Amino acid sequence: MLLKKNSLVLKGALFIAASMVFVACGSDAPTDETIAPTEDSVVAEVQTEELTYSLPSPLQIASIFKKSGLKYKAGITSDLKDPAKYTSNLNKAINLGVYSADLSYAVLNKQNQEAMTYMKLSRQLADNLGMGTVFDQGNLSTRFEKNLSNEDSLAYIIAELQMVTDMYLDENDQQQITSIVFSGAWVESMYIGSKVYEKGKDKSLNGKLAEQMTILGSIINALKAEEKKDAAIGGLIADLVIVKDVYDALPSVKNNPAGEDDAEKELTLTDDEVTQLTTKIEVLRAKFING
Amino acid sequence: MKYEVFTNTLKKTLKMSKKAFCISLVGLIFVFGFTTIQTADNCDKKALTTSCKKKLDPYKYDSQKFTKINFTKKAQQLEVEVPIFIGEKYRLVFNTSGMPKGIKINVYTKDKEAKKREAIFSNKDAKADETQLIFDVPRARKMYVDYDVPADSTNAKLTGCMIFMVGYK
Repeated sequence: MLLKKNSLVLKGALFIAASMVFVACGSDAPTDETIAPTEDSVVAEVQTEELTYSLPSPLQIASIFKKSGLKYKAGITSDLKDPAKYTSNLNKAINLGVYSADLSYAVLNKQNQEAMTYMKLSRQLADNLGMGTVFDQGNLSTRFEKNLSNEDSLAYIIAELQMVTDMYLDENDQQQITSIVFSGAWVESMYIGSKVYEKGKDKSLNGKLAEQMTILGSIINALKAEEKKDAAIGGLIADLVIVKDVYDALPSVKNNPAGEDDAEKELTLTDDEVTQLTTKIEVLRAKFING
Repeated sequence: MKYEVFTNTLKKTLKMSKKAFCISLVGLIFVFGFTTIQTADNCDKKALTTSCKKKLDPYKYDSQKFTKINFTKKAQQLEVEVPIFIGEKYRLVFNTSGMPKGIKINVYTKDKEAKKREAIFSNKDAKADETQLIFDVPRARKMYVDYDVPADSTNAKLTGCMIFMVGYK
């Protein structure tokens, strides 16, 4: 009996040992790891990885426009208030960005009811994308409603919402959503900026519109890096490239070689150039909103 | 009588097989569980985010960037582009506590392809136990955050994650 028990334990131990050998063998990739590198080769070789991107938040873009004197103009934000219309994940994410930009614009201009509407619409779209729970973290939705009369508090709540959203998407390996959402927000912000510029022709706003164009290349590259996760991103990239090409061909841009290096110099576009740019932005924005 | 002996023998055999199965199962769970723990990058994104956020105040949250780093036999250079805007004030908060060993962090205003560039921030003077680094950014148009990851010839397959958070006011 004792012998049988020992035999049983022995069998178990042998099985474990075999499992360990199996696991150990399986975890080693059959690559050049068996060749011990020399000290020289370790020091000399530096593997350079592809450039990655950290895009700003829609709230910061809205804040920059606001500081430049962007006034509130009723009726220019998205009036399509039926998130169920958007069926593909790409369109849902783009329009979540559009709503985020409209929400930021409303908050910074103390349009409380409008802000509440866009908060609810953003929540619905986030739910449709399967990430609605981010609105419940730290009671963000409730705090937003309670602080409707306090612009500063609302801005901090939106910033916090951005943080929990970024973290959620990172944890779920859905960084492509971050880039798509920002694309929608950026186009909507540019649309709002250009519509307000049309009315007042404010020079400061002109400079901010031009400055925003300098990050379009980063947005496109960030999307390209995520293209393998969703083939539909290719169409969005193509649309944004059209806008970038128009901007890059403008005479004021071509004749401004110092623009990238000078930390203080803002580029000013002619009214005709702003119109050319605005036309392309309007077309793209309509495409986004119509789904 | 023969039937009883047969039944008892069968019961004992089944009982022993059950024991052997249980021992093997526990062993397998132990072996695979241990392997999984060894290979996980132990990157607690929520804790890192919360920690960075505390150091960001009074700046408002703008964005954050996690970078997973796998140590290899070759040294690596990873670069993240961060667009910034004229007239805005920015703060960057780095947290290195998700890293199994030290890396160099540098921030430049030009990318790695530029012929000449100077670091506007470096962690070279940071103490070894200093896991949170704060950088208030001077005026610039773009920032390039570089991670210089040393080679690891120990075959330990070390992994870790870096985070930086961007704030503005």
